[in-house]
Amino acid sequence: MNIQQNMSIMEKLAILTDAAKYDVACTSSGVDRKGDGKHMGNCLAAGVCHSFAADGRCVSLLKILFTNECIFNCAYCQNNCNSDVPRASFTPDEVCELTMEFYRRNYIEGLFLSSGILISPNYTMDLIYQTLYKLRNEHHFNGYIHVKAIPGADPALIEKAGFLADRMSINLELPTSDGLKKLAPYKSRNTILKPMRQIQNGIAENKNELMVYRKAPKFVPAGQSTQMIIGATPESDYQIMRVSEALYQNFNLKRVFYSAFINVNQDSNLPVLPGGPPLLREHRLYQADWLLRYYDFTVDELLSEDRPDFNIYLDPKCDWALRHLECFPVEINRASYHTLLRVPGIGYKSAERIVKARRTATLDFADLKKIGVVLKRALYFITCSGRMMYNTKLEENYICANLMADRTQIPRDIRESGYKQLSLFDSGMLDCTPVPQSQLIAGELAAVQ
Amino acid sequence: MYVFVCEDSLEGIFSGVYDACASKLGHRNIRLATGEPENYELFSEYIPVAPSAEKTKKVINTIVSRFGMQFYESIYQAAMSGEPNNGKKMDKADAIYETILLALACGDGQKVLLSLGEPCVYRIFELCRATNREACHHLEFLRFSELENGVLFATIHPKDNVLPYLAEHFTDRLPMENFMIYDETHQTVAVHKASKKYLLTDAADLDLDKIKRYSDNESEYRKLWLTFFDHIAIESRKNPHLQMQMIPKRYWADTPELVRFA
Repeated sequence: MNIQQNMSIMEKLAILTDAAKYDVACTSSGVDRKGDGKHMGNCLAAGVCHSFAADGRCVSLLKILFTNECIFNCAYCQNNCNSDVPRASFTPDEVCELTMEFYRRNYIEGLFLSSGILISPNYTMDLIYQTLYKLRNEHHFNGYIHVKAIPGADPALIEKAGFLADRMSINLELPTSDGLKKLAPYKSRNTILKPMRQIQNGIAENKNELMVYRKAPKFVPAGQSTQMIIGATPESDYQIMRVSEALYQNFNLKRVFYSAFINVNQDSNLPVLPGGPPLLREHRLYQADWLLRYYDFTVDELLSEDRPDFNIYLDPKCDWALRHLECFPVEINRASYHTLLRVPGIGYKSAERIVKARRTATLDFADLKKIGVVLKRALYFITCSGRMMYNTKLEENYICANLMADRTQIPRDIRESGYKQLSLFDSGMLDCTPVPQSQLIAGELAAVQ
Repeated sequence: MYVFVCEDSLEGIFSGVYDACASKLGHRNIRLATGEPENYELFSEYIPVAPSAEKTKKVINTIVSRFGMQFYESIYQAAMSGEPNNGKKMDKADAIYETILLALACGDGQKVLLSLGEPCVYRIFELCRATNREACHHLEFLRFSELENGVLFATIHPKDNVLPYLAEHFTDRLPMENFMIYDETHQTVAVHKASKKYLLTDAADLDLDKIKRYSDNESEYRKLWLTFFDHIAIESRKNPHLQMQMIPKRYWADTPELVRFA
């Protein structure tokens, strides 16, 4: 371990940003708070992304670790106690100064503060709490704060921090407890889920208090989130999505984030990924996550024990629709909102617009286009006043071939490798599922295992 | 055909709407045009409209009292759009005029705004959406720099006239700061004095030398920001295409972190 004294704030920022960048959640959404007219800061519920880094991810919050010194030895993390990286720690004042000055210049929307475990979980959580306290009460910062709860910290400390933060999160890290045992021996399901439950209960209680007394202090008003690493352990998409569904239902999480595994430590316990991080898999998981939260899908509709992974070539919604052609075509002018949501090419916004617009007029395909429906995907599944847009067949292979011809759907390298599959497909080797799952995912799984 | 030629501003367009209604030439024989048309039509009569505050007020009053604030906001946002008038799409002023006529005939503004099948309503929807997006992007990508005298200064180049919206937002966010936002495209400035309301004025009086003299700390914080920005990206996920999709290149020149690559 390489601890340097008297580092400049610039050096510290470089080290502690590098240390924090693998954390995914950088949203500033979920809370609407007007400025108080005297101090700096307000919040917009939709969230604001201030810039986009070279990897295309948004920069919304000042995402830093308080310290990257750590007593834990999680194999996937570059800050674990065995890895040879430069170490640094901020002081609470430095974090406050950076946050205030960056916020003033409209660089950031607020602070995202996480930390390595310095000395003990309680000691670290207390440092984080002190920083937030300074920021809120001495600098009167009224913007967004996302803070990590440290697994194993005293519930009282977590509660105190929760009254100062807008969002709290505890990383689930790995989808199964076996994976956690293997890769993060100092963490356990229990130390992660206990504070998660505590925050959930805290939010629920706080809602009741706010009903009685409007000005009661708010506890984690933007809700809590978590994240999982994808591809470090051999879980299937089905297992991962089941975990997410359980988190949404049982823990009332606002978001579950998925982070494609990047092997930073070259640890022998971890898979080598020659093709880079499994980004497409991550993308499919996010798409399915949206289907759970906005489109009333359940995981068991999308995946099952028999087909445990998502189709690489088609998004989860198209894939579902192709396997349930008995539900289609859907009549735009009569179908319920819930039914419209399930049509590929119709998002929740267009579904809302359709429901409103059809009160005054009968909708036609030209109107749908204006409303924002992606007709090149939807046209196989819908009718307007009983007519389809073109003379198409309601047949799995036919629709699948046409949907896959859409070049915007799949990244280029996979699309090009996919042409082989297409010729396989053309020769009639596939009849029930559009693309053989086992073969497609095989490449990625091989990399994982 | 009678064409009312209005100035490209809220006042210009609303005065045009007022004059067109008051002319009693029959709605079917009237069109509105934003700005001087490039080509004149042979059998049309062109009537210039002088912007008038009084007429504008009357039109606004009618709209707000009959159809509500939400309808007015949509019309206002559409009028703020700066989309060039290339003749391919419906003219902005004409779309506003026809939408107002539809609302007057129907009596329910919200209902009219939902009937996207009408070309004029769809045009309003498009313009609104464009203005809204531009405003949101500037909330995100606008950057203040601290000047020598402690004033926060930002320069922007928006397509649409989004300055009022930005000034509103930052007045709420930074109530105790003195700040200025300079819209170089439209040559307007929003000026905010600590704990006061903001003002919108013409940019003619702007001291162009003063706004280039930054405070001592400014370059330090800018460097810190660039350090943060460069280190937050994950090398193995590099994706310039996605970055460009999320922050289009026309915004790069006004942000310190991306102007280096613009």
